[in-house]
Amino acid sequence: MTATPIIDCNANLGNWPFRRTAYNTPDALLERLARVNIDRAWVTLLDAVLLKNVGAANPWLAEMVAGHDRLMPVGSINPTWPAWERDLAECADLGFRGVRVNPNYHGWTLADPVFGELLAAAAGMFVEVALHMTDERHHHPLVMVPPVAVDGLLAACAAHPTVPIVLANVKNAPATQLAREAAGDLPGNLYFELSHFESVGGVQQMAGELGVERILFGTHAPYYYPESSVLKVFEECDFADADLAAITHQNAERLLAV
Amino acid sequence: MSASGIIDCHVHLHHNWGDRFACAELLLRGADRMGVELMCLSMGVRREIYTRPTTVEEMHQHNDEVAQVIARWPDRFAGMCYLTPRFLPQSLAEIERRVAHGPFRGIKLLWDMYCDRPNLDPIAARAGELGAPIQQHTWIKAIAEHRCESEPWRLAALARRNPDTTFLAAHTGGNWELGIRQVIDAPNILADICGGDPEMGYVEMAARMLGTERVVYGSDAPGRSFASQLAKVHGADVPDADQQQILSATMRRVLDL
Repeated sequence: MTATPIIDCNANLGNWPFRRTAYNTPDALLERLARVNIDRAWVTLLDAVLLKNVGAANPWLAEMVAGHDRLMPVGSINPTWPAWERDLAECADLGFRGVRVNPNYHGWTLADPVFGELLAAAAGMFVEVALHMTDERHHHPLVMVPPVAVDGLLAACAAHPTVPIVLANVKNAPATQLAREAAGDLPGNLYFELSHFESVGGVQQMAGELGVERILFGTHAPYYYPESSVLKVFEECDFADADLAAITHQNAERLLAV
Repeated sequence: MSASGIIDCHVHLHHNWGDRFACAELLLRGADRMGVELMCLSMGVRREIYTRPTTVEEMHQHNDEVAQVIARWPDRFAGMCYLTPRFLPQSLAEIERRVAHGPFRGIKLLWDMYCDRPNLDPIAARAGELGAPIQQHTWIKAIAEHRCESEPWRLAALARRNPDTTFLAAHTGGNWELGIRQVIDAPNILADICGGDPEMGYVEMAARMLGTERVVYGSDAPGRSFASQLAKVHGADVPDADQQQILSATMRRVLDL
């Protein structure tokens, strides 16, 4: 579909408990992403979300991706559990460049002090917040989890300006909410991953609202078909080449260089 | 249109994108970029449809807006006539006015009434006589959202009572793993894959359990992206010929093109 090098900033390995997931091993995922010319991917472990001891996912993920240089592991942290700082330190020791949090699945909000504590401790790493995992309208009736509200996020970004914060699985509405709250001055350390942006030409519309320098290419594969993000960006939108380069890899590379 | 052109069985006008013509132009720009040649269009830019039941006058206004768009771009849009089955005589009259005498090609039902109720039978029967497909919104929601939102099993009940009518289960119930199963035994129901997240496995399961000839591409644009919905087909592990069937051939047959 494209010759532009693409970094997928939101891919997954492992299993989601409510659906059998294909292409969820390192080799299979890389092969599936390569079909749409995605060369590299940041990967989280789906299993981590519903583990009680979330920290156990990190050495597991490190073991899975060992020997796969095109996959960059992103750890998982539940900052409400005792000794989460040890989990964060273990992620650093494992060479992870960032960690993901799932506040809705772990019972906290972005306005809680614990988020600031995590950001303060995450020196040298990025922190990724997954706002959804799957469509709330179809959750298992015994495991219904509302999306993460973005209230309090801008204050947290401002208080920790050297920590890159990535919103993964973010839909148009909360992104627009943040842009309005910021009144044109979104924090420089805030990034938006595009797999959940919708509407006709929606990625281009959101890039206009948020700033193209904040948009990260992501697929949410293999839960989503990776073709979705590729077609949205390369076919349905009409980005200039410089903007395509920013979205598909340069923004991610800049984030990691901080 | 070309013999293999993509047919999108499910688009709307919507107030978030301006008036009827502005919204139609947005749809056309997106469709052109994505290779979609024909779009089945229903409902105007009125907001009340998402908050309360529609009056007869509002039903007429929705269809007037769609008719104006079809008149401007007759080769790009096929009209789906929106009905309010709570007002059965007026709905039947609307079928005669818009479908029997053209230019609308099918019928659109949303959440005016649960679709397994008796009021739907005269509508379904007349649609069958005219060869007009009925597209019924279906969703199985863990969290109630709209009044009288029909699950696919309700459509299956209606379809079994009206075997000569073709139905499109819009969104395949949203919760597609369950929705596909709910329509298996109603062969005159097609799974319209529009409007949910592009979750891997959707089209593969629909094709496996219903047969490829019962799966059709739709987007729910402009609220949804054409691209994210086309990805369900282009990304599916099904043969190219099956993709072509889903993207074009089946709707070509349904619309008698």
